[in-house]
Amino acid sequence: MDLGYELVKEQLFFRKEMMERVSWMIRLRWMAVAAGFSGCLIGYVADWPLPFVPINLIFAFIAFYNVLFFFIGHRLPSIKPQAVQAFTIFAHAQIALDLFALYAIFYFTGGIHSPFLVFVLFHIILAGILLSPLSCFIYSILVLLAAAGLFLIQKYAILPPQPILFESHLFFHALELRDIVLSTIVFAAMVFITAFLITSIKLSLRAKGRELLRVSKEIDTGNAKLKALYQMVKEMGLCQELQAMMDSATLNAATIMGVKACSIKLLDEQRRQLRFSSTYGLSENYVGRGSIDLEKSPINRSIIEGSYYAIGKIDQNDYFQYPEDIRKEGIASMLCLPLRVEKMVLGVFCVYSDVTHDFNDEDVDFFLLMADLTALAIEKLSSELNKTWFLEKAAHQLRSPLNAIDTMLKTLRQGYLGPTQTEQAKLIARCEQRIENLCQVIADLLDLGVKRTDLSKIKMHPVNIGDVVKTLVHLYQSQAAAKNLDFSCHIEEGLPNILAQEKLMDELLNNLISNAIKYTPSGGKVRIRVARESSDRLLCEVADTGIGIPADDISRLFSEFFRSANAKEWTEEGTGLGLVIVKEILDRLHGTIAVNSKLDEGTCFTCFFPVIDGR
Amino acid sequence: MSTPADILIIDDDRDLVNSIEIILQTKDYQVRSAFDGKDGYAEIEKKIPDLILLDVMMATDTEGFDLAYKLKENPKYRDIPIVMITSFTQKMAEQGPDRFQHILGEAWPVSSFLEKPIAPEVLLSTVEKVLSEAPAKA
Repeated sequence: MDLGYELVKEQLFFRKEMMERVSWMIRLRWMAVAAGFSGCLIGYVADWPLPFVPINLIFAFIAFYNVLFFFIGHRLPSIKPQAVQAFTIFAHAQIALDLFALYAIFYFTGGIHSPFLVFVLFHIILAGILLSPLSCFIYSILVLLAAAGLFLIQKYAILPPQPILFESHLFFHALELRDIVLSTIVFAAMVFITAFLITSIKLSLRAKGRELLRVSKEIDTGNAKLKALYQMVKEMGLCQELQAMMDSATLNAATIMGVKACSIKLLDEQRRQLRFSSTYGLSENYVGRGSIDLEKSPINRSIIEGSYYAIGKIDQNDYFQYPEDIRKEGIASMLCLPLRVEKMVLGVFCVYSDVTHDFNDEDVDFFLLMADLTALAIEKLSSELNKTWFLEKAAHQLRSPLNAIDTMLKTLRQGYLGPTQTEQAKLIARCEQRIENLCQVIADLLDLGVKRTDLSKIKMHPVNIGDVVKTLVHLYQSQAAAKNLDFSCHIEEGLPNILAQEKLMDELLNNLISNAIKYTPSGGKVRIRVARESSDRLLCEVADTGIGIPADDISRLFSEFFRSANAKEWTEEGTGLGLVIVKEILDRLHGTIAVNSKLDEGTCFTCFFPVIDGR
Repeated sequence: MSTPADILIIDDDRDLVNSIEIILQTKDYQVRSAFDGKDGYAEIEKKIPDLILLDVMMATDTEGFDLAYKLKENPKYRDIPIVMITSFTQKMAEQGPDRFQHILGEAWPVSSFLEKPIAPEVLLSTVEKVLSEAPAKA
């Protein structure tokens, strides 16, 4: 932590208190001035034997300097917090002037016999509050010395004697030695005890204030870190791509920890090298050095081997694989932690400092938390990537032999190895048909699997449904004509866009249109309509005059591998996955689907899509 | 065409290679085959074929592409037309890991694609088309 900054912060805290005291004193002084003038007025009316002119002048003087203090007090906040002296001088000026005015009043209201003599205690208290204990005691001595001066003035008539207000005196009844000694002892004791009490209280208050400040500072730091961590987690959570997520983690970690740079290095498959996967604040030269060999880098090796953290300082040459590069990079120290998910270490999370940073336990704990969060996010995103890739590979492995069989059967059936009998060719064609179906099932399963694992990764953008439908209608035209279908399409003009992806829309409508054509007997009708349903929804309808769906089956239409009995009877072609895919896509697009069907009369699928706002 | 074109098939699926050989031989093409990238390259070094039918995924996910790039780097083999045979569709490539993204980012080093399962008539027409477009052999 920066000590200078801490001091300033502490001063700021106490300065605020001082400023409050100053304005409180100024207000108090106005009250004293008002009380003084009122007292004079009462005394004048009561015909007290007092020199009213000089006393009023003294109060006028107090009022005058209080105005000055008022303006100075207003300018105080603009003074740099480091300029402590200005505050001290201001406090001294107030106490000194007040005491001077007070003693002048003493002189005119009975000198050493003045009933107001006890008022010095207030000023001792004020000095105790505003100034250091030492200053407070110095003022106490000064007060006593001034009292002695007052006594001398009176005793030896150095200044013209003033009328005495009261017959009986609080102190100094007579100017006899015994009286004077006793009175002085009592008076001095009173002053010093007051000074002692007030400075003790003030010191303990100040200690409590410091403690409070320390606690509040700790809370502040904790709060700032938590906020930063929350921000980091939020940003990382929004990232769907591994790289973007790691980049966000390194950037955030470096910013939060206030260090020069940060890196994520992941282990290779052989777990022998670390590859820079994301860096922030490191030069291309440094990163371009390539992978780090665990054998040659003890600091990284210790992490992979299970250390909770490792702090490296650049003077420990043999601790690093490339100490020269690290020096060139301006790195003085680094803190490395494992990227760990449960017991598995994925790599190393590192922060680099350009000063020989003493990472304390708190830094390490906090950084460990960040590393753990990052490791979890890496694991989550890469496992999604791996799942998808596994599905692709699995599907490929399943399809390869089927594809080979298919080609072999075609070679056989089409007579490339000599003529086949009609019945043989028919049987081979059936084999081909079954294989084709099986391939379609694999393709659909893969499609669905991929959609369920990583549809979230698909970036959506505004899409015009009309355009997608037009292209598809064009594609299906010949197929529909071959079946002698009345195939038509109506797209409302000026439709707003929806948030989607052409490929997804294409797949969705492909499934619906191909089904409509497939399940409609020759001479039937297939109609597509795209229109605005309401101000915020579009509808896309695919209606046919096909075989229809039994009412009992409609609720099961969107379950995997389900096909109605009449559909199976109508054609072998079909996997029972097409509509599941349709539903999956619609869920992703925040759309819905409605089915209307009558057996032997036809079916109408209506999809609803939310419109993009503001269009 | 005076001499029959020399076609090299590189695929690790021996049954498929066998079927392709049968189909191509009916059109009197001269057919050679290899079952991995390394053997394929050796065959090419032995004699430059007029056309290569090349599988994408063999021992590794990108073995076919790797071989194709290697051939394109060599001026001697650069002009041999390549027909990629694959069940590795473009969609799959887009969703694959980084190395496929990388491959897709560059110009694909092939003349044509044949998607599996291969229909004999499509195979023959593709081979004929690619051979007719190929620059005359020096």
